[in-house]
Amino acid sequence: MKEELVAEDKPDIARLIDEAAKAIGLAIAPEYRDKVILNYERSLAIARPLLEVELDDELTPGPVFRP
Amino acid sequence: MSDPLTKQATASDIARAVMSRKVKASEVIEATLARIEQAEPTVNAFTDVLAQRARARAAEIDSGRHRGPMVGVPFAVKNLFDIKGLPTRAGSKINLDGPIAARDAALVRKLEAAGAVLVGGLNMGEYAYDFTGENAHYGPSCNPRDTTRMTGGSSGGSGAAVAAGEVPLSLGSDTNGSIRVPSSLCGLFGLKPTYGRLSRAGSFPFVDALDHVGPIARSVEDLALSFDAMQGWDPDDPVCTDRPAEPALTELGEGIGGLRIAIAGDYFERGAEPEALEAVATSAKALGTSKRIVIPEAAVARSAAYIITAIEGSQLHLPRLRTRPQDFDPDTRERFMAGALLPGAWYVKAQRFRRRYRAALQKLFEEVDVILAPATPCTAPKLGQVMMKLGGVELPVRANLGLYTQPISFIGLPVVVAPVQLPGGLPIGVQIIANHYKEAAALRVARHLEKAGVASAPPA
Repeated sequence: MKEELVAEDKPDIARLIDEAAKAIGLAIAPEYRDKVILNYERSLAIARPLLEVELDDELTPGPVFRP
Repeated sequence: MSDPLTKQATASDIARAVMSRKVKASEVIEATLARIEQAEPTVNAFTDVLAQRARARAAEIDSGRHRGPMVGVPFAVKNLFDIKGLPTRAGSKINLDGPIAARDAALVRKLEAAGAVLVGGLNMGEYAYDFTGENAHYGPSCNPRDTTRMTGGSSGGSGAAVAAGEVPLSLGSDTNGSIRVPSSLCGLFGLKPTYGRLSRAGSFPFVDALDHVGPIARSVEDLALSFDAMQGWDPDDPVCTDRPAEPALTELGEGIGGLRIAIAGDYFERGAEPEALEAVATSAKALGTSKRIVIPEAAVARSAAYIITAIEGSQLHLPRLRTRPQDFDPDTRERFMAGALLPGAWYVKAQRFRRRYRAALQKLFEEVDVILAPATPCTAPKLGQVMMKLGGVELPVRANLGLYTQPISFIGLPVVVAPVQLPGGLPIGVQIIANHYKEAAALRVARHLEKAGVASAPPA
């Protein structure tokens, strides 16, 4: 089954940022908020090629932790 | 061989002259300090000049206390490397209130053990989250080839200091292109070694999964000389390889015989300005190759490198974003804030994709030994320039100067940047990409281009 890789509906980035920032205790001053939104939107666009690929279950993350 | 007291002198020239007692280390250091004083008002490469320390070290060399293959060679380091007695700025204002370094970074110690002399700390983009070399706290480093233009970053001062002839050698760090972008825009040779090849101990981190350190110089011989002096396992950096050192300097004379060289097509041609493609074509011609290959999924690799950087870097700085947001550079602050809010699942997916991409590249390296690609899509933009046109599309400068470097460092492949000085124009670099731990192959190709007169890095 092909997963839904990327949301078709554009999320409300401003709201997403306000709520996510609250969740991690990051106060974003009003004068910074517009640029945070802009940068989040840029990140969404740049992330798209990654979000669109499908990966085999066998592919585990790259980093190796050696105890 | 250049006069060791002039800005044309390479590190190798200086070491040979000091070794054979044609010149004293003290004379070299005095000439270096004078050049720094003269050039700084226009290039702004240094944040810390260590005149007293360098003079004391030079005097020790002249009294016979230190020897080595780099004896008397002045060098400077991006200010994210620890320098004993100073706070490690990492391009920030905030870190000035942090701890004073108790000892030098591992690579500073290694270079000094080889006889080199540290003369200062260099300007950089804040916390290395930068491709421009601009900095709101300390001013931009300015490109010595045209001081109205960017050096590229984040190792901007490392590019400016070497291109201006202040020092023959500098150290930078490269997470997504921060050695290769300034090498390209300032017209210098740069080496980003294999991930984990050189110790990062005592350097302020940015993105542990992608951080590399390496040299910038004006000759291939100097890259190899310093690379050899810095190799070796270091238990203080958990990523540092325990493979034995593989000296590269002795390999330089081997030429390019036996190396299969190809040009990266597809992704690495899209969006490039004509100068970038011309530099690759000229280099390929001099290397006698017209073979083209496609690095599969390079666009996904760039995307994944971006996501790992945004999330890991932002997580590192989250405590400071909470408590001192007003003290960040306005050009990094909101990017870090946005990165702190991205879904963690993206990070895991990017790390999983990294393994698939590595496997694909390993397969590609069964067919070729060295791949050529542009280092930057264009020559140095103007200082303060926010947007640029690539392939007819308007794009932000900051996110796109590393378009061609990100998919390579993403899996830690070694790269040498060879600078091509285009007639009447600004320089631009070519990435010479080899398989893991094959730095020597990339250096041999760069040496061939240097000998053929295609790549060169005279001081400005």
